[in-house]
Amino acid sequence: MKILVLVKQVPDTTDVKFNENGVMIREGLQSILNMFDQFALEEALRIREMYGGEVSVMTLAPEQAKTAMQKCLALGADKAYHISDRAFGGSDTLATSYALSLAVQKTGPYDIIFAGNQATDGDTGHIGPQVAEWMKIPHTSYVERVEKIENGTITVKSLLEDGYRMIEMKLPALVACIPPPNFEYSNPSMSGIIKAKNKPYIWMKADDIDGDKSKFGLNGSPTRVVKMYPPPKRERGQIFTGDYSESVRKIIEHLKEKKVIE
Amino acid sequence: MVDFTFTEEQEMIRESVRDFARKKIEPIALKMEETHKIPDDVIEGMAEMGLIAPTVSSKYGGQDFDPVTAGIIAEELSRADPTGSIPVFYLVQASWGHVFNKYGTEEAKKEILPNVTKGKWFLGIATTESDAGSDVLGTKTTIQKVGDKYVVNGEKMYISGVREAYTRGGGHVTIAKQFPEKGAKGMTLFYLPLQSKGIIPQYVDDLGREGISTGGFTIDNVEIPSHYIIGQEGKGFYIVHEGYEYARGLIAVICAAAGLKSLERGENYLKQRKAFGMPLAKFEGLQFKLAEHYTKLSYLRWGAYNALWTYHQEILGKASRFEVSKAIAMSKMFAQEWACEAIDDVMQWQGAFGYTRECVDQVAWRAVRSFGWAEGAKEIMKVIVSRELLGKDYTAYK
Repeated sequence: MKILVLVKQVPDTTDVKFNENGVMIREGLQSILNMFDQFALEEALRIREMYGGEVSVMTLAPEQAKTAMQKCLALGADKAYHISDRAFGGSDTLATSYALSLAVQKTGPYDIIFAGNQATDGDTGHIGPQVAEWMKIPHTSYVERVEKIENGTITVKSLLEDGYRMIEMKLPALVACIPPPNFEYSNPSMSGIIKAKNKPYIWMKADDIDGDKSKFGLNGSPTRVVKMYPPPKRERGQIFTGDYSESVRKIIEHLKEKKVIE
Repeated sequence: MVDFTFTEEQEMIRESVRDFARKKIEPIALKMEETHKIPDDVIEGMAEMGLIAPTVSSKYGGQDFDPVTAGIIAEELSRADPTGSIPVFYLVQASWGHVFNKYGTEEAKKEILPNVTKGKWFLGIATTESDAGSDVLGTKTTIQKVGDKYVVNGEKMYISGVREAYTRGGGHVTIAKQFPEKGAKGMTLFYLPLQSKGIIPQYVDDLGREGISTGGFTIDNVEIPSHYIIGQEGKGFYIVHEGYEYARGLIAVICAAAGLKSLERGENYLKQRKAFGMPLAKFEGLQFKLAEHYTKLSYLRWGAYNALWTYHQEILGKASRFEVSKAIAMSKMFAQEWACEAIDDVMQWQGAFGYTRECVDQVAWRAVRSFGWAEGAKEIMKVIVSRELLGKDYTAYK
């Protein structure tokens, strides 16, 4: 089983502070492995444990993302592909996914491609599905678990708003993963960290992947960020106090008045 | 050029240990005050992570870690466990694992060290006796060769991890007199399994670090095989100091980390608590205390890493044993005092709450206070440094 996991390094947004203009203070923010991607990697490693094979990780990012890649290797990935080139500067998700899809085909073929469902910085959820679409392979997002792999198919448990659905796809396929509630992330072991430095770490440039270079970077990015601003502060909600039944009645009246309910 | 940066690998180790400690140790740390035990799943987790005796060779399940890297782990464990229990559990096994790895027989290492690194057994140190602590030559416990075995008699006291080794398995690197007439050259170091017939344990009620036991044991005609001898007969006095020095360096890091962590709690408190219409943090009297403690503890931290680095240089053949002794003694000399002074002030800032059992900092203070004695009293550190400065001819104690 040949498995690839697409990963990204993101700012650690667990303790974000904003300045008086509502802009995120980036100073002092650590960079970490996107938590969705770590879950995808851990799921890939579980599949390798069950079915055997090799797990590679791939990122398209500046050199400093090596820290996150080393963590992937320390957690158990066998090989790392780090695509880094000025040509990719200013890429939106379309250009990023295009370049990634080319690199995937160049280094593959793979039986399964894992990706995090989304990144905690951009939060688009685009990359996984877009890579699969460029490659014309089946894909599913919101995957909490790979249930089984047999007869050239993969069955995944995918999260819905009101439950789950089981989806069977033909391999090769891409699964975009989301950790289940209370998922306990692994920490790299000491021996994993030591072994990581001797694992293959392959740097790739734009010239190393075949494809239409006009679709790389800013030129291949139709998205334009016009303005960034924090969401407007919401006014404090109205609180109805007093007798329970009376409060419920007042809330219903209020909602009717606002035409939220009829 | 002086480069104070850690390697990328060491930074990754720090991050991984810190995250592990935040998730697995911080939530249970204060519970150990009542349970008097490090939870089994924490020990298992540490073993899985490779955090038990990482100084041991990978051949026996260790990580081949150098002293600085071992110090990074000690620092992170200390930040997470104000009771000091897990740091002690760690430092003892890291230090004496190093000695066992260096001087133990191949047969003993294969038998014992994998069980230690897997967290099944505890490996401790037993030199102190009721009447012999810093004065190692005052040891009364004896070891005699009888046929192809050795017989040990005596008692040890104020030893860490007695219950752990007695109940879980394992034992202590122990020192005894083999040739009393030869003084320092008559002492032998050996591994003493605490589940041996003839060992009777006893326990003392320490002021702190409740998660790991302190106690002693009587040794009544305990037989040990010859391959349990660590190093050569008569070399124990010299070898034991290598372990103590390793442990002292780790203790200095642990004290700095405990003090700095307490200061972090103190900083938050100073910002939040208001008196006379403004946050306590605006009072210069408190600001200056904070600045002084932070500066002293930062010096302490780097001094400790410098000492552990010097120890590593000796392993690499680039520094002498005496350089190590001095650097290590300097790092530990004020470690407990400076950390306790800082923690004491953080308790003071918190008013009457600082004197309650609810206050985490009093837990840290009780833990750190033990390091004024542990692995070499602070007075002995001054003896060592002055000996290295003035020469052995001016040393009152040989």
